[in-house]
This record gives sequence, structure tokens and C-alpha cells, in this order.
Amino acid sequence: MTALSTDTPTKPTHSPAELREKQDRRRAMGLLTPGLLWMSLFMVLPMCMVVYVSFWTQTTFAVESTLTTASWERFLSSSTYLSAIGTTLRVWAIVLVATVVVGYPVALFIGLFVRNKTFQTALLVACVIPFWTSFLIRVIAWRPMLGTEGAINVILMKLGIISEPLTFLLFSEFSVLVGMTQIYCVFMVGPITFMLGRIDPSVIEAARDLGASFGTIFRRIILPLSLPGVMVGSIFVSVMVLGEFATAASLSGRKVNLLGNIIVSQVGSLKWAFAAVAGVVLTIIITAVIALALRIVDLRKEM
Amino acid sequence: MLTLSRVSRRYGETTALDGVDFVVPENTYMSLLGASGSGKTTLLRLIAGFEEPDQGEISIDGERIDGQPPHLRDIGFVFQNFALFPHLTVAQNVSYGLRYRANAPVSNENEIKDRTESVLSLVGLSGFGHRAISAISGGQRQRVALARTMICEPRVILLDEPLGALDANLRARMCDELKAIRERLKVSFLHVTGSETEALTMGDKVAVLSGGKIVQSDAPDTLFSHPNNVDAARHLNAWNIFEAGLCGPAMGQGTVAVRFDQIDVSAEGEVPDGRPWLRAKYLTGEFNGPTALSFFRAEDGTLLQVIDHLSQPRLPDMVEGQHYDLHFAPDAARQFHGAA
Repeated sequence: MTALSTDTPTKPTHSPAELREKQDRRRAMGLLTPGLLWMSLFMVLPMCMVVYVSFWTQTTFAVESTLTTASWERFLSSSTYLSAIGTTLRVWAIVLVATVVVGYPVALFIGLFVRNKTFQTALLVACVIPFWTSFLIRVIAWRPMLGTEGAINVILMKLGIISEPLTFLLFSEFSVLVGMTQIYCVFMVGPITFMLGRIDPSVIEAARDLGASFGTIFRRIILPLSLPGVMVGSIFVSVMVLGEFATAASLSGRKVNLLGNIIVSQVGSLKWAFAAVAGVVLTIIITAVIALALRIVDLRKEM
Repeated sequence: MLTLSRVSRRYGETTALDGVDFVVPENTYMSLLGASGSGKTTLLRLIAGFEEPDQGEISIDGERIDGQPPHLRDIGFVFQNFALFPHLTVAQNVSYGLRYRANAPVSNENEIKDRTESVLSLVGLSGFGHRAISAISGGQRQRVALARTMICEPRVILLDEPLGALDANLRARMCDELKAIRERLKVSFLHVTGSETEALTMGDKVAVLSGGKIVQSDAPDTLFSHPNNVDAARHLNAWNIFEAGLCGPAMGQGTVAVRFDQIDVSAEGEVPDGRPWLRAKYLTGEFNGPTALSFFRAEDGTLLQVIDHLSQPRLPDMVEGQHYDLHFAPDAARQFHGAA
């Protein structure tokens, strides 16, 4: 009797769906590999190394791999270093607020009130023009501006507003804050402008049609819709400010010690274990700040 | 009553609106029919106050509203793309106007809740208040947009192609609902559309906007059977418009319009006595289900259409490329003088 076979063939072939899935997985792996290699070689591995070295034994001229918590104890019991953490956090908070205060109105203008795309792009490019000079020149350029014989003091004295030059302007925390705000402001303007530009103009018109004044529309519609931009900008600014040392070194006259400056000076005097401790502390702070930012605004909804 | 008199709006060299005179009476569903680019959206934006007219006056019940900022005009605007607030829930969207308007905002949470719920049930969305805007369908978004506008009880509600973003099935259903909702609210709707069927179905009155002017404003059946001018006839998409000269001396001078369904076809030279006719080449036919359209090309190149209903066929069998005589009753033709 020859019946039609209803058995599926026993040969282990793959269905097209399975083949496609395999192919997709291969492609994903192919795209991920270079990044993964790079990150593990130059970030994960060194990070582990830094944590490891922070427990090494530091002698005056050498560091050896005998494990000890001496460097940590010295760091956590020294008021100089603990106050550096405080200074770092204070400078970070003030610069962050300042970049939002200065950057948001600029972004609001470019993103919402300029409707011509070409003009918008031109204005954004204009914000980047200062970056065509080197970082150090931009920082040092504040000296002739803020110094006792600097532009601001000269103008204020000529106008008769002050009789003595203002000394707090340069080589103080103030000059560090001014310099950092100017340098990092553009990283705040960009993301906020982008988010504001994505707001459908008819949404704002609809709010207006429903009877809301501009102030209310700003608070209830524009600000909430642009918050993810503020968050992304804040993450950029935070990461850069927390790791800063150059602005403080050249504008504070060594009066302001950030964690970054400690790392630089400790590495300079070959105190590797101690620099590693500061590095680990700094990394923990940055991680905490980013985690906090991501908790406030859910970026997943905006992707 | 919303009145526009001699309203003009220009953008540089182009004139979008050129002296529009227009009245939307109380408690009326008014359709505004216009081709894309005819200035219909501009007209709505002028009324809502998003733009100001270069000339002319806009008033409601005798009170001038042009020059007032849009948030104080008390006019509802339903956007074509709905323009819902993406970060708020359905209920927050709907209550936005009550809560945040500059004029007499409502701060009593119970009242806000009650009114939000009642307007949501009016548009058939009870129980959807807590949903996110991204979690509802296109038709539901349309209703939220309408509810959000209605809750403020504006004096006039402007709808900018409100059904344009919906699929055909939903469009038919929303048509009926919009009419029913308006009748319950007893407020005037001004519904802008580019579709003549939509305008005729929805409107208690239909206005035709063409070349920056309102060329006719009438009840739908009057407009359909008696367009006053060539422009109005052309927008109805149901009239053949051609030079009177094509019919010989019988029709005199000017432009003639004859409805698609009032033209008969016969072989060359077999036109019954007393009926004006013109000769045209049969191009092709198009079968649309209950009706069939036949296309002809007149001697001067004008395209003519004849509609035939399957239940009552009146056209002979025709061969593509052959010439036929198209004739009609003398009183079926509308004659216009002046430029076409």
C-alpha cells in the first residue's frame, strides 16, 4: 500500500525564519565587535587596573603591588582631598546651572523662534565658531578680560562705577566658573535646540487657541517637551566639568583644586596609587550623576 | 455669527485671500470647499488669530476680533494633524484649556474632572482619560482633539480638514458623528475641506473658495444644481464646462456648464430635434461600480465626462476613437458670461 507520507522530512534542515534569524545575529555581532573590543581594551581593562592600582603600596619614589588600603585611608582622612571633592561638586553644580540659564534662552530662540532651517543651522554653527581656536587659547583669553588691568575692570573704572579694580574677577573660583560656563555652554545649547526644533508648531498654536498665555504654554508645553534635551546637555556638561583640570589650572592661580587637578599633580609626582584613588572617586561621582540624570528623565521614550 | 468683510492676506507677491466676504450664521454646520492652495487654511488661521489680515475686518456678533491675540478670541481650532500634547494623557489634553486659559481658568479639580468626563463621553471616549496619546488610534486622536476644543465652549469651532488624516471607513463614520455632536452643542462649525462630497454631505451650507474669494455660499443642493459661476461649478466635480461656441449658434456666446449626468450620447447626426449638441471623440470609459464614466474630447480639446448609472443605462455601445454627438436638454445647461 502506498500512502502519501505525512511525515516531515527527517533531514535536519533549517527553516527560512531560522536562517534569517541566524543572519541577523551574525550582522549584529559584526557591528558590535569593533566597539566591544575597543571599549574592553581601552576602558574596562584600564578601569580595573585603576581600581587595582589604588590598593598598591606607595613609597616615596616607587609603587609596588603589595595590596594595602593606605592610600584610601590617607585620601579619606585628609581634609584637603575631601574639600577637593566638595569644590568639584560645587563648581559642577554652579556651572551646570549657569550653562542652563545662559544656554536655554539661546536654544529657545534658535529652536523655536527661528523657523528658517538655513538660518537655524547658521546660528548653531556660529555657536561653534569659538571652538575653531584651541582649548587653551580660549581659556587663557579670559585673562586679559578679567585681570586687574583687564577689559572689564578698565571699562568699569572709566565709567566711574568702581574706583579700585575688582580683584575677585581673575585667579579665583569666579574666573573658573566664567571660563567653564563659556566653554561648555554650547554643549547645552545643541541638545536643547534639537528637542525644541522637534516640537510641532501646531501644538503650540493649539495651546494658544485653547486660551493659554505664552508663559503658561512655556511652562506646561515647551519646557516639559524640551527637558530630555536639557538632560542630554546636562550629561555632556557634567561629564566634562567633573573631569576638568585645565581651566582651573590656568584661571584659578592654583587656588581652586578640583579632583582632576589632584590627579594631574599626583601623577606628575609619580604617586600612582594615590592618583588611582582620586580617579576611582571621580569615576564613582560621574557614574552617580549620570544615573541620577537618567532617573529624572526617561530617555527611552525620546529615542 | 462670524462675519468676514473684505479680508485680504498677501505673502510677498502672492495673494492668498483677496477681499473675502463671508458669513457663518449661528448654529450652522458650514462647509468651506476649496482646492489645495486656495487659501482655505489661511482663512482659518486669520479667524483663529494665528495670523492677521492685511486688510478687512473679522467680527463675531458685531465685535471685532482681528487684532486680538489668539488666546483671547474664544475660537476653537481643530488641527488637521490633531496637534495633541504628546507628553500629556488624554484627560490632561482635554482639560488643558479649562485649567490653563488666561480668561477665567477653572481651578476646582472636581469641576475639571466632571467636565472632562462629560465631554469625553460626548465624543465616545469614556474611560480613555488615563491613556497616553501614543496609545490611542487615529480616530480616537481625532475625537480627543475635538473634545479638547469643545470643552472650552468656544463661539465657533474651526475644523481644518479634520478627516484628512483618517482612512475612508473611519471618515464616513466621523462625518455622521461630527454632525451629531454639533447638533447637540448648538455651536457653529466651520469645516474646511478639499473634497466636494465631504463638503456637500456635512454642510448645512457650503461655501466655495476659489482664487482667494468666496465665489458662492449656498445650501448644498442649491449649490450642486445651480452653481452661480464657472469657478463654483468647477469645484463640484460634476459639471462639464465648455465654450458655448462648440454647440454652434444654438447656445450663443460665453461658457456653458452641463452636469455629467445630464448629457446623452448618440451617433453622429442622430441628435433628437430641439436639443443643443456638440461633437466629441470618445476616449475611454471607466467603471466605478454603480456608475460608469465615459470620457470625450471636444474639438477644441476640452475634456468632457458623461456619467451613466448601471441601473438605467442610456449610452449606446461606443468605440474608442470614434466621434459621437453629445446632446442635452436646453434647460439642463447653465450659461455663464465672462471669463472661464
